[in-house]
Amino acid sequence: MAVATKEKNDTHKIALKGESAVLIKGRTLKTSTTGSSKLVAEFFEYSINTILFQRGVYPAEDFTPVKKYGLNMLVSSDDQVKSYIKRIMSQLNKWMQKSKISRFVVVITSKETGEHVERWQFDVNLLGRNSKSKTRSGGAENENADSNTPAEADSEKTESQIQEEIQAIFRQITASVTFLPVLDGNCTFNVLVYADADSEVPLEWGDSDAKEIKNGEKVQLRSFSTANHKVDTLVSYRLLD
Amino acid sequence: MATAVLSTPLKSHHGIFNTKTAGGRMPLTPSPRPRTTSLATNFSTNSSPVTPAVERSIHKRDGSTAYSRSITRSVSKFAYAQSPKSNIAKSKRPPKHLDLGVSDFTLVGTGPSTTTPSRERARKDSAIRSRAGKTTIRLPHQTGDRFIPNRTASEGLATAGSAKFDENSRPKSSGTETSVLDGAFGISARGADGDIASALENMGLEDEESTIVRPKSSASTYESTLASACGISTNQRILAFKPAPPESSKPIDLRTQYNRPLKQASAQSAQFRRRIASAPERVLDAPGLVDDYYLNLLDWSSQNQVAIGLERNVYVWTAESGTVSQLLETPADTYVSSVKWSGDGAYVGVGLGSGEVQIWDVEEGTKLRSMFGHETRVGVMGWNKHTLSTGARSGLVFNHDVRIANHKVAELVSHTSEVCGLEWRSDGAQLATGGNDNLVSIWDARSLAAPKFAKKNHRAAVKALSWCPWQLNLLATGGGSYDRHIHFWNTTTGARVNSIDTGSQVTSLKFSNHYRELVSSSGFPDNSLSIWSYPTLVRNVEIPAHETRVLHSCLSPDGQMLATAAADESLKFWKVFERKAGVGASASREGGIGKGGQLAKQMTIR
Repeated sequence: MAVATKEKNDTHKIALKGESAVLIKGRTLKTSTTGSSKLVAEFFEYSINTILFQRGVYPAEDFTPVKKYGLNMLVSSDDQVKSYIKRIMSQLNKWMQKSKISRFVVVITSKETGEHVERWQFDVNLLGRNSKSKTRSGGAENENADSNTPAEADSEKTESQIQEEIQAIFRQITASVTFLPVLDGNCTFNVLVYADADSEVPLEWGDSDAKEIKNGEKVQLRSFSTANHKVDTLVSYRLLD
Repeated sequence: MATAVLSTPLKSHHGIFNTKTAGGRMPLTPSPRPRTTSLATNFSTNSSPVTPAVERSIHKRDGSTAYSRSITRSVSKFAYAQSPKSNIAKSKRPPKHLDLGVSDFTLVGTGPSTTTPSRERARKDSAIRSRAGKTTIRLPHQTGDRFIPNRTASEGLATAGSAKFDENSRPKSSGTETSVLDGAFGISARGADGDIASALENMGLEDEESTIVRPKSSASTYESTLASACGISTNQRILAFKPAPPESSKPIDLRTQYNRPLKQASAQSAQFRRRIASAPERVLDAPGLVDDYYLNLLDWSSQNQVAIGLERNVYVWTAESGTVSQLLETPADTYVSSVKWSGDGAYVGVGLGSGEVQIWDVEEGTKLRSMFGHETRVGVMGWNKHTLSTGARSGLVFNHDVRIANHKVAELVSHTSEVCGLEWRSDGAQLATGGNDNLVSIWDARSLAAPKFAKKNHRAAVKALSWCPWQLNLLATGGGSYDRHIHFWNTTTGARVNSIDTGSQVTSLKFSNHYRELVSSSGFPDNSLSIWSYPTLVRNVEIPAHETRVLHSCLSPDGQMLATAAADESLKFWKVFERKAGVGASASREGGIGKGGQLAKQMTIR
């Protein structure tokens, strides 16, 4: 991350030429990077739980509601499932901190046929500040000073705004059961991550295929973004025969 | 994989894209740089994704050293961010054209001249970027000669990326740029001569990979999309968490789940809910109570007397007077492992660690008889009129007719491990037994050769058993600490009709006579009493009861009071099923079994 952060700072120095706010900005950026990764990882954790609940991978009575994102999120209270998710999350957190992850996938697989029936995909995009300013410069005839204002407004996206965006995603995931095919209840799940080739990979993780769904239908769900990350959600599912 | 969103590059976007990419080069300024880096950068210049715009810029200015160009290249990203305006007008050509121009340019080998105010900055920046610059080189090197697939991937990428730019209006500058670089390089390398190849060989390739990969992460979505489409692996890995996920405890029918209220029917508002005293009515010491889950040392008679086995002694506490008397003391080589009152409350059966079963007349304080047969301790007993059933550690259950000399009338073989739960149905037609083999056996009193049903759903020892007073064929069974479930059975059909995950070891279960409720006592972690509504399975109240696990519980003959004994050596009395004076039985316990006048009268404990 160090390099990326540096880049951002440099961009700012240029964009904000002569402004004293440069240093302060740089600092907030750095600190929010870890916070943002944590937030995204946490989002993944609740996503797994929500998907497992909504898609009936585990019985509903195994889940207990907790308040999160201003919603009643259902998280597994089954010890085995809990520890399984915890093991995934601990590694995911490490990767997120180092920005090694570009995609996080939950695949639901039929136990009977071994077919992948549903695939929840979360794309993680790193938001570089430089890219933003570039868009602006490429677009209208903005002066640098002018183009800076929207950037600032963006960075000041409040926590409640982010929470609202996340809330909207979970509402969508919940609502998606209305169009997703009914699963037969005899399903299991797998977690995939798309990691950089140079990532440190613990023994528990191994290379895998993408577990794509053949001829699957895809529905793009909402996105949310923090100061440093943008997360897109997509569900693909097997079409009914 | 490719969604509609991703795969619709619009031509109109190319101009914008190109502007950005090309724009970077315009203000580029060469600066004197040490030769060391120039090797790397020099090469990258040749191969760099110089867009037509750059070409133009080069021609405009004086040609200069290769490394000057290289610097400009490395600065490019930063540079166009810096001065966007200058670029905009320059080029409108889409990236595809770029490919054609690059190799030409490469061979020409001209470069922009040095006249810039931003020289210093450029130098500084290039120092930072020099590694990123190498990135482009490294890829092709890794793959050796195989540039062609790489090009296809990144070529497509360029377009996909550009489309995405516009759509998001938030370009991932670094990522896309890199991929463009790759593509351009791939082409030029193909057309390039041996110099390039050798330069490649000499490249410092030991860079930590992290720097290389980082800029790609943002574009990786598109990259991997395309890569998978072309069957190419990019420098990204798909990793799966290998351990198999835990099995679901039961098959799920989603259709019912969607109809299920998230908040269970505890919607019953507080004012209608029964108030349950959460403090014990009375606490007695029970010194020496053996902390053994498999024993049954507490029972309350219909004559309102409580018998408790404390190590080698059996004490009888008379509720009405509050007096305690010692009924018996076993020989030193054994201990009391179970006590059970006969139905009329006149006799108490005492099981011993030696396997002996004694029957005592409580009023007289004398032993009526001893019955032998078990070779292991008798942990549980149950009366059905004149029949006393005893379950032993061996897994055997004997039925004794206590009236006749040859007392053993039946041997019930089903359990393979210690029997710790045994309960006759109130009408004596069925017997339920639970054992340490996690088995619940339901016996028909008329045919005891084999259990009518043997249920293996529990995953731990089954000690807690209770027959439902208002529905005779309903049996509740609770499992031990690994199981934590209460299962409800229809003993006519053998079907499991309901389940509760209590979250802790279930040490005893009692249905209420008056309310459609049952109480369970639990071990670790709460050592609590829980009162559940049936059949809604809502937990009405959870009372933290003891400091250690609750071992035994029994209901008073009027059904209002629950006595619990715990490993903390105390015996507590709880008024959990209290009947309010004004509330008629009909209101609170529709269907509750009326047990005759003598039980209906209020009892007192002194």
